[in-house]
Amino acid sequence: MNPSPAFTGPAVEVRHLNVSLGGRKILRDISLAIPPGELVALIGPNGAGKTTLLRSLLGLIPIESGEVRLLGQPQLRQVISRIGYVPQRLALDTGLPLSVREFLALRQPGTRNWFWRRRGDLDAALPPIVQELGVTPLLDKTVSTLSGGQLQRTLIAFSLLNDPAILFLDEPTEGVDAPGERTFYEVISDIHRRHRLTVILVSHDLSMVHRHASWVVALNGRICCAGAPDDIIREDALKEAYGLHVTSYHHHHGHTH
Amino acid sequence: MGILTEPFMQRALIGALILAPLCALLGVFVTARRMAFFSDTVAHASLAGTAVSFLVGLSEPTPGMLVVSLLVAASIVWLREKSGLYHDTIMALLLTGSVALGTVILSRLRGFRGEIHRVLFGDILAVGMTELVLAALLLGLVILGAAWLLSPLSLIAANEDLAHVAGIPVRWFNYGFVVVLTVTVTITIRLVGILLVGALLVIPPAAARLLSRNLRQEIWTAIALGAFSGTAGVGLSYVGDLPCGPSIVLLSITLFFVALVTSRFTGPNSARARASQP
Repeated sequence: MNPSPAFTGPAVEVRHLNVSLGGRKILRDISLAIPPGELVALIGPNGAGKTTLLRSLLGLIPIESGEVRLLGQPQLRQVISRIGYVPQRLALDTGLPLSVREFLALRQPGTRNWFWRRRGDLDAALPPIVQELGVTPLLDKTVSTLSGGQLQRTLIAFSLLNDPAILFLDEPTEGVDAPGERTFYEVISDIHRRHRLTVILVSHDLSMVHRHASWVVALNGRICCAGAPDDIIREDALKEAYGLHVTSYHHHHGHTH
Repeated sequence: MGILTEPFMQRALIGALILAPLCALLGVFVTARRMAFFSDTVAHASLAGTAVSFLVGLSEPTPGMLVVSLLVAASIVWLREKSGLYHDTIMALLLTGSVALGTVILSRLRGFRGEIHRVLFGDILAVGMTELVLAALLLGLVILGAAWLLSPLSLIAANEDLAHVAGIPVRWFNYGFVVVLTVTVTITIRLVGILLVGALLVIPPAAARLLSRNLRQEIWTAIALGAFSGTAGVGLSYVGDLPCGPSIVLLSITLFFVALVTSRFTGPNSARARASQP
């Protein structure tokens, strides 16, 4: 899980990006460059376009104008094998009784023929990250029966199976309780540190962002400000992004109110 | 054992043995992707296809049924992408339009009024060599496709965004699935009829879902239930002198209720299964 050795430019580069949905302008003239190896948090109020920005970077929604480059490539399909993605509030279809083992096999390189293989063979092919994330005891469970925290760990393991250089996470702690949220940020921070991959996540939790992110982008239809957490998570900067008075996000005891 | 020596029964049994498990396999994904109404719509388009076949002087309705059903399937996809209307609105429009057009044409053609009943409810005598060859080709295609494409198909059914970011050409997969589903539905109509073909797509996977702890189990169980209800239904219709399609569907529904009761005691959601969860 290392950035491409051949490429030393920005992991993500966006130039003058404009996106409209249903005739409404969501993103205006977004330009940013994210160096490889950063843990970047996209913050902003509801409707600020955080998820829209993430989805347009991944080619999940069409862009109106502008340019997006991931690992220097303008075409997503050229780098798609180096991208990991954890979607927002994933609605894994409960009509399909996928076990966690089967779900992971859908992405795991070399297990395309999972239907015909024995469970032991599939388990042996899983990388250590599955064990490290505590997903191994869940392998026999049906994905639709997992708790919020279990599903989140499974999705993170799924997103790391292809050894990505960039990991995108869209509001990954939604539906997860406060202790689970803390654990999540510690896990992501640890993965980011050990594997030196670029992480881009959408978050509402300014306290956790302040503690774990190395770079913060404050968004409100356009980029209000971007920089180190200490510079961005300040009252005046947030006021511009959120449009209201925001205080009390620096906590000494590890939780938000 | 007239059931095994009569040529029309041999064709019907082979047809059921191919088409019912095929429908069950596709039905696993049809039910997961909530496409039951879609398959119903392309099935009803076959009435217009039958009418058009006879109108242009064809002796066999299957080619016209295939063409019109595929046109209707393409229209659903095209209108959904271009008009912004909801899927079910588009499908209701095309379903009723196809039935109306087919009924009007058949009512104006001399000697073909009886065809409406045959197309709606199926006819054991309607399974000819054309249908068997098409069914066998389709079975080969689906087995090959399932062997290679089961993973992407399953991931698309689970979540299209994840499939897209995994590099799967989601749109092309969806088009391919629609074509295979439409052809399967159209050929199966000859056996069980427009009104009942949806049952073969929905009931075996629904029963299998109740009994399965994972996707592999669901696929095998649905195929087994489809094969049993298809062949046993054909046999039942011969022995009891009953209509073929309804016999197959009633047997499927019986199996579904057996699965429902069984699942209360041994299924993945039974009290015993919940108690054994860590």
